[in-house]
Amino acid sequence: MTDPVISAVSAEIIVAALHEGGRAAALVVVEGPRSVLGQRILATALPGKDAEVHGELSDPIYAAQARELVLAGCSDDPSAPAEGMHTLASTTDEARSDGSLRVYLELHSPQPELLVVGAGHIAQPLVALGAMLDFRVRVLDDRPEFATHERFPEADEVLRVDFSDPFKEIPIHSGSHIVMVTRGHKYDYECVRRLMLSPVQPMYVGMIGSRRRVRATFSQLLDEGISRERLATVRAPLGLDLGAETPAEIAVAVMAEIVLLWRGGSGMPLADRERVLERFFTEDA
Amino acid sequence: MRGEDLKLFAAIIQKAASGRTCALATIVGTKGSTPRKVGTKMLVDPADGLLGTVGGGCGEADVIAAAREVIEDGVPRLVEVDLTKDLLSWSPAVCGGIMEVFVEAIPPTGKPPTSGE
Repeated sequence: MTDPVISAVSAEIIVAALHEGGRAAALVVVEGPRSVLGQRILATALPGKDAEVHGELSDPIYAAQARELVLAGCSDDPSAPAEGMHTLASTTDEARSDGSLRVYLELHSPQPELLVVGAGHIAQPLVALGAMLDFRVRVLDDRPEFATHERFPEADEVLRVDFSDPFKEIPIHSGSHIVMVTRGHKYDYECVRRLMLSPVQPMYVGMIGSRRRVRATFSQLLDEGISRERLATVRAPLGLDLGAETPAEIAVAVMAEIVLLWRGGSGMPLADRERVLERFFTEDA
Repeated sequence: MRGEDLKLFAAIIQKAASGRTCALATIVGTKGSTPRKVGTKMLVDPADGLLGTVGGGCGEADVIAAAREVIEDGVPRLVEVDLTKDLLSWSPAVCGGIMEVFVEAIPPTGKPPTSGE
């Protein structure tokens, strides 16, 4: 019989799985008899492979259920169990005073990636903010004098690519955030076209530009037969309306939109949403 | 994946290899408005201090106290942190929710966890 997995080993397994673009689900017993309290098992699923369970709860009454829960947790099925507390009920008829366990299920998907396409002025603060927000950051350009580590000390990778096929060497996945800040319309067009032709739907695709530039790109792509539905997933022009002017301000507006979509916020100023003074303090008391 | 978790996992692996027992606190449940969400972690190292935060203020003090006990006896604990009290204290913990924080020991690698009878 295998044992439960201790926390440090669990961390190693999760980090290794995520590094390979896989997913992981970990379960720990947070309430229950002392004999199983704190025990942990996990499951990992690497791309294109069957999921694997690591460890086993020492109490056979709960071991199978725990296995099922972590296996379900690391599938990318929308019906996968949610992160948080779950209860494992005793599966035997024997009356036990400690008839159930409370377990905490934690789900891990690959680290979100920020891909900055175009290594100009706006790319610099974008890369810095992306790193600060814990994205794995890559920046690409076709100009060797721009695509340098010196210009992007915070980037995980700085790549020189040919804009006619910019994502050839870069795997795009559902956790990719792609921000297009190239120097010209024809590059944007080529990049968006490549993304639209791929079956993979990245988490975020945004393109900078004036209304005119965005319109020209969209018009060309629609003419080429890219569907309206697919094109509607492109955020263009990108970013929140902050009235941003400088490259740093624009980068804040872009990253604010990414955080907003990631966390599911409204984008509204909280003071305007809550209106505490207006709602809770009448004018003439 | 929360990228901040990756940093924390790297720290867990490194601390466990250092041969010192630390404690890991994870927010496993919340009710109402809490400063951090489910899954947020904090690592408590008796020698090096804290890495990460489960919310700051008085709530965190309870968690740190539990972490000390856990490092001492190895028995994991589920700590309920009530942030609904002291609404008028100027602590950053004034959020108004209740959270459940699971605190467990991170024993050095190669040594089995000390929980159990």
